[in-house]
Amino acid sequence: MSKFSKGKKKKEPGISTAALPDIVFMLLFFFMVTTVFKEKETNKLEIDKVAIKETIDLEKNIKAAYFWIGRVPGRVDDFRVQLDDDLINDYEEIRDYLVKLRKNPEYSQVWDSRFFNVFKVDKKTEMRIVKKVQDELKEAEAFKVVYSVNKEK
Amino acid sequence: MAKREVEEINAGSMADIAFLLLIFFLITTTMNLPQVQEERLPQKSDVEFLLNEKNVLQIMANKNDKIGIEGEFAELEDIQHAVIKFYQHEDGARNLPSYIEVDKATCEDTIESLEAALAVYPDAALFKIELDAWTRRLDAVNAFGGSGFKTLPNNATVSIQMDNSTKYETYMKVLDQIMLGLNHLRDSLCVDKFNVPFSKLNDKVESDKQKISAIRQVYPKKIMKEKNRSVQ
Repeated sequence: MSKFSKGKKKKEPGISTAALPDIVFMLLFFFMVTTVFKEKETNKLEIDKVAIKETIDLEKNIKAAYFWIGRVPGRVDDFRVQLDDDLINDYEEIRDYLVKLRKNPEYSQVWDSRFFNVFKVDKKTEMRIVKKVQDELKEAEAFKVVYSVNKEK
Repeated sequence: MAKREVEEINAGSMADIAFLLLIFFLITTTMNLPQVQEERLPQKSDVEFLLNEKNVLQIMANKNDKIGIEGEFAELEDIQHAVIKFYQHEDGARNLPSYIEVDKATCEDTIESLEAALAVYPDAALFKIELDAWTRRLDAVNAFGGSGFKTLPNNATVSIQMDNSTKYETYMKVLDQIMLGLNHLRDSLCVDKFNVPFSKLNDKVESDKQKISAIRQVYPKKIMKEKNRSVQ
């Protein structure tokens, strides 16, 4: 009493496409995990970036603190500093922020190698503001700075 | 003749073709990385370095974004020529740094004597820095196939001084000009030694990495930022 019928040749079955969605999802997940997004942006400040000739690519997969320095929209000559998500009122907030960041092992392990302070600064900003921010960086021993620029053709 | 039924085309392999294309383009596409200019902030220190006047190329910008090189007004484009002249000039030229000669024998002798000195004074930081510098120079000599080179002394530096009211744009352009000059020198040296432009070297490749660091030993990027203060 066999349950499997032998002999009689059946019609060949079509190729099963049931596994296709799995493959698509696998690809989707792979690229979702590996994609690095281009740049963070700010919406609180107006920033007109400088264009220069000699630029280098920003390394991939870095840890970074983002500093924006630019004009408050609608106001003339009111330059402010934005750190990550908020405008800062006192430069010492920067130091506290970095010190706190460094307590996180994810950051402290790469502090001297892959941690960058990314600056996006409006071209009309006066150097005194940049200088004040960088003084705080020195206090927090975060020495690596990159300036985000446009490439001049 | 009897009309035959048209056979359906098997579309099973369409998916494969589509995926093949998809994967091909996914792999070959590179996203545009953000373009940046790099800088390393100096350690906080109260020690004033005594610098020999001729070992410093001084670049200034005043509050009206006018550029000065060695105390004289100049145009932005002059900076890169000044930088090239600072790094590459005839030995013994006035007001320009004198070179140090680096070859295999000098490197080995210096490393040996520094190691001997470190054995006696294991905590001398200056010796460690020097030992490190000479070890890297020896690596560079080896990368050039044993031929020596001349380079600027350790304390030679390009100094940038910005007024508090100088615009950020000017600062970026000044840095850009310095890098333009430096990369011009690096490019021609690299073509000369390795037959490939410096900008084409890839620091992810081990053999290129050695070349990059060797070239950097000859033309190191040395920029000192002086305290912002009012510049006339």
